[in-house]
Amino acid sequence: MKIPRLLLFVIIVVISYGIFKAPGILLNQPIPSSLIVMYMFFAVVTTLLWITSTEKGMQGLVGPIKTMIEDPSKKTLRNIVFVIVPLVAGGITYMQLKPSYEAPVELRSIHPAPPSTVKVFGKTFNLATLVNPYRKFEKEDPAKFAQFVKEGGEVYFKNCFYCHGDKLDGKGHYAHGFNPLPLAFTDIGTIAQLQESFVFWRISTGGPGLPKEAAPWVSAMPVWENFITEDEKKRERQYTTRNAGGAMVRMGRETVLQPNF
Amino acid sequence: MISGGMNHISLWKGMSGTSMPNWDDVLKEQERWDIVAYIKTFSGLDKPAKGPIDYKNQIKSSKESIEKGKETFKKMCAECHGEEGRGDGTKKLKDDLGFRTWPRNLTKPWTFRVDNDPKEIYTRISNGIPGTQMPSFADPTSKKTLSDEERWNVANYIVSIADDVKRPKDDTVLKAIRVEGELPDKVDDPKWSVAESTSFYMIPQIIAKERFFTPSLDSITAKAFYNGKEISILLEWDDRTKSIPGDEKAKEIAEGDVLEDSVAIQLPVTIPEEMEKPYFGMGDSVRPVNIWQWKSGKKDASEAIKLLNANGFQKVEQRDAGKTGLRATGIYNNGTWRVVMKRQLATEEKGKDIQFEEGRYTPISFAAWDGSNGESGSRHVMTTWSWLLLKPATPKSTYIIPLIVVVVVFGGELLLARSSRKKI
Repeated sequence: MKIPRLLLFVIIVVISYGIFKAPGILLNQPIPSSLIVMYMFFAVVTTLLWITSTEKGMQGLVGPIKTMIEDPSKKTLRNIVFVIVPLVAGGITYMQLKPSYEAPVELRSIHPAPPSTVKVFGKTFNLATLVNPYRKFEKEDPAKFAQFVKEGGEVYFKNCFYCHGDKLDGKGHYAHGFNPLPLAFTDIGTIAQLQESFVFWRISTGGPGLPKEAAPWVSAMPVWENFITEDEKKRERQYTTRNAGGAMVRMGRETVLQPNF
Repeated sequence: MISGGMNHISLWKGMSGTSMPNWDDVLKEQERWDIVAYIKTFSGLDKPAKGPIDYKNQIKSSKESIEKGKETFKKMCAECHGEEGRGDGTKKLKDDLGFRTWPRNLTKPWTFRVDNDPKEIYTRISNGIPGTQMPSFADPTSKKTLSDEERWNVANYIVSIADDVKRPKDDTVLKAIRVEGELPDKVDDPKWSVAESTSFYMIPQIIAKERFFTPSLDSITAKAFYNGKEISILLEWDDRTKSIPGDEKAKEIAEGDVLEDSVAIQLPVTIPEEMEKPYFGMGDSVRPVNIWQWKSGKKDASEAIKLLNANGFQKVEQRDAGKTGLRATGIYNNGTWRVVMKRQLATEEKGKDIQFEEGRYTPISFAAWDGSNGESGSRHVMTTWSWLLLKPATPKSTYIIPLIVVVVVFGGELLLARSSRKKI
């Protein structure tokens, strides 16, 4: 059976709209409405061009509308359509004009480019060349390294876990009160991707140490330089880097469960 | 005894407000059940001491059941949980380890360890909460017992007093509504009932020295009105204690010395043009903030409003609140503080005070201190930046243009119909 052209046109337009809306409804990642308007414009124009490319197609599309308007036996249908169409047009216009009072969208860089040097603990560190002085023990003396990581874990649970969470997943006791939310170290895109010198900088200078593009005025990350020692910080970083990210996610959770590493 | 299912649910969802996280992303279902079985062996409870809790006589919630539950609640539960269930009791509580605990505010079910299903509440009433002073009301050896029916009625009553307005939602814009005529300056003005409520989580100040980890307050609800001249903001937050230094009753329940209760609003001195705001912790060296801090007063001193300008917490200037027309007044009632703050939209010292503007998204944040919980100075709860919007009246064109569209489209249809008729 051949689908009437008009019905086909309506079906294609509705399905296209559904596809453009789906990411927002299903994945909570909506396509901006201005983009949807543009996509829909192309969908409608392309479909119209395709259907009206033949004389028959044109007839199939316009014919039923013409019949509805002209055929006296379709009067009731015509009257209903004539009432609905203006109301829908008015409704759409109102929805477009209605002012929205939602919070403004503010984009910030989560991992901004670090400065070349950072001055903390009265010393200047070159972030490009800075390496974790304890990292070498990972190969040279694994037992000693494990001890450092364990100490780092203690520092973490005394200071960081209130926000970054027991499972390093960014869901600590007070995480819900912050915007932006505390970082989840178990996320493949965070700690596993970052250099240790970057993490050292982030811990030392906290929210206020961020560059402008990362919105330092809203980050609740404390300036840890004021609280913990340089040594503690390095070990703690070892803990978070060792325990998080990518293929190490699973391992990280196990280390939390068995703090003997 | 808590049933096996309960333990399993905790291992699955975690317990909100505690260190118990959810384990369903780490442990498989079988592993969770294995842990439940193992935990039960700790105290020899692998065989139940008595049968699991029985819900078969559950009483469906009804007006009558809630009314009966309310009566029983006032007699048996209000001593700790307060007359209206906000945890504002008169009894000082501690847990088995001797730490101070505060009774649950039963109007905020989202703070419950599990949830406010009537069965869960019935379970707590029947079993008590081990480790705390919440007793079992089904223990025949106890002085405090309630019949099965009474326990279900109380559970139904507790479910009925949940106050969802106080639950923080995704919307973080406090909308001030434009009104003609005088703004309310009393907390009990009936006009407030038509304002829009916005609620925010408050978390303890754990960012700068001295960090604070034992809060008793957890959220704040705000409403606002403005007219051509002034803005009036109502702040409501549940606080289990009215802390009046020098007052005997306040001293009995307080943890340590009684200090004043307090609440503050923070606003930027200059409304930012773009994204860049003052640092949310009392501003920074280039972007100062205004802080309006109300204090509840002492036995021999009345409530007061302070105006501070801050460029960071180390650079704070005390200013004359009266000179800017800033006023505030508060009332405490059954576990809730309500405070109204009012100021002119514009002041004389434009470089030092925020000048409110209709339609501008203005950063705003809140802080509160519970003086019976040792809170003062940097020991307090707070929010980060949210928004205040003096919501402009909707322009008339919003309604007129769609009407025009309706008329034009309909007219077009008529023309179409007419022209096609002519063709025939």
